[in-house]
Amino acid sequence: MPVKVLAFAGSPRRHGNSETLLDWVLDGMRREPGVEVEKVVLVDADVNPCRGCNACETLNKCVQRDGMDYLHDRIIDADVIILAAPIFCMGICSQAKALIDRFQVFRSRKYVLKLPIVPPERKGKRLGIFLSTAGQNWDHVFEGAVPSVKCFFHVIEVKDKDIHYLMVNGVDEKGAILNHPTARQDAERLAREVITEIRARLAG
Amino acid sequence: MGMAVSVLGISGSPHRHGNTETLLDAFLDGAENAGASVEKVVLKELDYAPCRGCNACHKTGVCIVKDDAPPLFDRIFSVDCIAVASPIYSMGITAELKGLIDRAQYIWARKFVLKNLYFPNEHIQHHKGIFISTAGLSWDNVFDAAFPAITAFFNTLGFEYYDNIIANNMDQYNGIHGHPTALREAYEKGQQVVRVIEDLKA
Repeated sequence: MPVKVLAFAGSPRRHGNSETLLDWVLDGMRREPGVEVEKVVLVDADVNPCRGCNACETLNKCVQRDGMDYLHDRIIDADVIILAAPIFCMGICSQAKALIDRFQVFRSRKYVLKLPIVPPERKGKRLGIFLSTAGQNWDHVFEGAVPSVKCFFHVIEVKDKDIHYLMVNGVDEKGAILNHPTARQDAERLAREVITEIRARLAG
Repeated sequence: MGMAVSVLGISGSPHRHGNTETLLDAFLDGAENAGASVEKVVLKELDYAPCRGCNACHKTGVCIVKDDAPPLFDRIFSVDCIAVASPIYSMGITAELKGLIDRAQYIWARKFVLKNLYFPNEHIQHHKGIFISTAGLSWDNVFDAAFPAITAFFNTLGFEYYDNIIANNMDQYNGIHGHPTALREAYEKGQQVVRVIEDLKA
């Protein structure tokens, strides 16, 4: 069985810094044998914000019909889920926040309806990666984003210890990450580490 | 008597008349009771796109997207106090409010890239920003991840981040009307901030 990787490019700017970081990770993963990668560009994916209607707490599905219909099963099926998004105004960009908030359907399933997200035999066999970039070079620039990212992964059965982070600050203008001293190597190393780890988990 | 203190409430919840908007309404009622002129904008009824991250505003100081966001920023700049309200979804503010905050990039660009906009300290002291929020969860830290973006928003707009009106544990209280103190606190803070601004203007 191939390792399935599902990756979200959350930035509204195509081929900017966070998407470049994602592409380095995905290129690294594609070089490994038996890895299937699907990349979803969020601005083209038709994912509307959550309406806060709480209907999913009883229906176990979302009342909105949009791009999430396609993504839902892919999110469940993936072994590795990657979210890449830039920091705007000290938080994750609103496009990515809309996707995170639409995971409410998984939260309702898990915590309200107390139904499984993945079959029991797949528990502990899912890994997450959060990739981010920020123009500011402050160390704390990612702090507003991380708690929401943790929610995103927790509700789809990726545990805290199974979330990997690569967050690069001080890159603002398009292409700035190309001049970063370590980002590319860090991304490629992360790709290898995560694929090695998920293989071990799936075999275990 | 000079001009009345003006207060603009911005409701960032997609859920009309829910806990957060009700808390905002209590704040605005208090402000009105203290003599302010009060308006409320509901973001989900406006038509604006999220920021594209194109950075065109870094060269021009204006946003290339022509929709309801730039006129709303003009309104914000015409008032003394803004009350920005959002529930907590997934440990952060809603995509609607974050969408608006991200659109303030052109104002940030005017201040820090083009350097053709500057708010003196006295202006900032006279303009008060208040964050209003509710959360279902009881955790004390449930609002923490919202603060950095709200702080950045008020800083960009030249408003002092004056206060929070926040109430967690909504699930336990069965909504804002079940909370023992939140609505009264919001009303009183609405009255109080208007008096503070009046004194500053006098």
